[in-house]
Amino acid sequence: MAERLWKAAGWLAVGLLIVLPGLSLVLQSFADSWRAPSVLPQEFGLRGFEIAFSSAGATAAGLDSLLVATATTMLCLLLAWPAARALATSGINRSPVVVLLIALPLLMPPYLAGFGLTEWFIRLGLDGTVTGLVLAHTVLALPYVIVILTFGFGSRLRELEEMADLAGLSRLRRLAWVGLPSNRPALATAGLLSFLVSWSQYGPSLAVGGGRATLPVVMLPFIRTDPQVAAALGLLFILPAMAVLAWAVRSQRNPL
Amino acid sequence: MEARDPVRRLNAPGGRSSTWRQPGLLPALAVLLLLFGGAMLGALRVSLIPLGDSSGELTLDAWSGIFADPSFIDALGFTLKVALIATVISALLALLLALTLRDRGLIAKISGASPVPVPHLLVATIAVLWLAPGGIADRVLGGLPIDPVRDPGGSGVILVYVFKEVPFIALLLLASLGRSVKQREEVARVLGADRRQVFAWVIWPALRAPLLLGSLIVAAFTIGSFEVPLAVGPNYPQTLAGWAFEATRGDLISGESEAAAALLVAGAIAVALAAVSVRFARDVEGG
Repeated sequence: MAERLWKAAGWLAVGLLIVLPGLSLVLQSFADSWRAPSVLPQEFGLRGFEIAFSSAGATAAGLDSLLVATATTMLCLLLAWPAARALATSGINRSPVVVLLIALPLLMPPYLAGFGLTEWFIRLGLDGTVTGLVLAHTVLALPYVIVILTFGFGSRLRELEEMADLAGLSRLRRLAWVGLPSNRPALATAGLLSFLVSWSQYGPSLAVGGGRATLPVVMLPFIRTDPQVAAALGLLFILPAMAVLAWAVRSQRNPL
Repeated sequence: MEARDPVRRLNAPGGRSSTWRQPGLLPALAVLLLLFGGAMLGALRVSLIPLGDSSGELTLDAWSGIFADPSFIDALGFTLKVALIATVISALLALLLALTLRDRGLIAKISGASPVPVPHLLVATIAVLWLAPGGIADRVLGGLPIDPVRDPGGSGVILVYVFKEVPFIALLLLASLGRSVKQREEVARVLGADRRQVFAWVIWPALRAPLLLGSLIVAAFTIGSFEVPLAVGPNYPQTLAGWAFEATRGDLISGESEAAAALLVAGAIAVALAAVSVRFARDVEGG
């Protein structure tokens, strides 16, 4: 009996806190007219998406966000892989400088990182460029990627690598055939987190983005002024995040 | 080869030199040092040298200016209040959620963790749809006892943070409630421990560190971020980062310097909180 009650309470919570809010977002994005006190919209249409794609510039912002998040993720994984490998074999707690460099960007306000970089970026001509956005997002995503990959380098990986050495594999082949496949779950988790950190970043994008607006920068003003457009942009905002999540979950299966 | 030798690794002397000798670390640390260090120096410089001042003379005007400004003091108080309440509620609910979900199936766990990848701004959008005056909740229930959206008390901001951060902390807690904890619980029960004792001696020690870490990350985030307060928070008082953003849109010269100082104050609070937490955790572990 108690178990049944728990299950019912669980489903109720999922319905109220996840399914209903999600459905309401979809409904709002297509609700051309939804006046109080009606619980359901009076008129459905594509006004929200039309404004999102025309005047709000969702296409350019979405593509920029996608490009920046993908490039940030690639850069972070590239930098973090050798760092995590070194940290896993030398002990992450040993050097206070390393710990500080990894922890501080996680503690500081993200807007501060972007704000502090703005003047340098203007002087270097990086203000308002994809490169500038990628660099600003990398500061915030790299620490997460390093920490997750460091935990992924277990003793099993080192054993596998030693076997690869004994088999006479070159360093590159060892990486491609042993290192990357055996660490796939950690790589996928780190990649997912890095993508999401960049994808949802607001403050730094606002600071160094110049005239180049990412999706969160385009979306925020509409939350206050036009909920239908905000909901339409919200759907565009969630889809790539969910796709990357699905890919990351798939990658957790069957590591080497 | 030496790095892979477990005996060498265990005996490796601690300290800076052994870590810095790892060439793999250098690119990542150089990037962090350059970009993060550059950002901090840049912000500090802007706070001390007003924009466009070619003399390069340092002045503490921005720092004294913000602490003499009542709206900044209100923003400081509002930020600390929102961060404290959101973090404490999130940590308590996450503890309950993790303990409820630990023996449940994969679907329950995935449902519980599903808000984690959802961006904060999306949750803020949904909060406005449901909780704003005339929103869905208002229509269904015929009125809400409070108006969370734009509430000067910050209840709307706190609600969005709690919704987003409870699953995040719960996920960290679930990760540390693995099989070994389960085995220790069984041993404790066999030895005659009751439920309260099992929680105090086995479960709580396993949860303490991830709970503190999760709470710290949440507190730092709520102190430093401003998109959620901009979307669902009151126009006054603002959070520190929101105050800084507003300052950049005000006076062109002093605004930038004051914004930099305000953001550095927010960062300093988060770092101080982390230092106190780490100290506290060490004391507890040591005791």
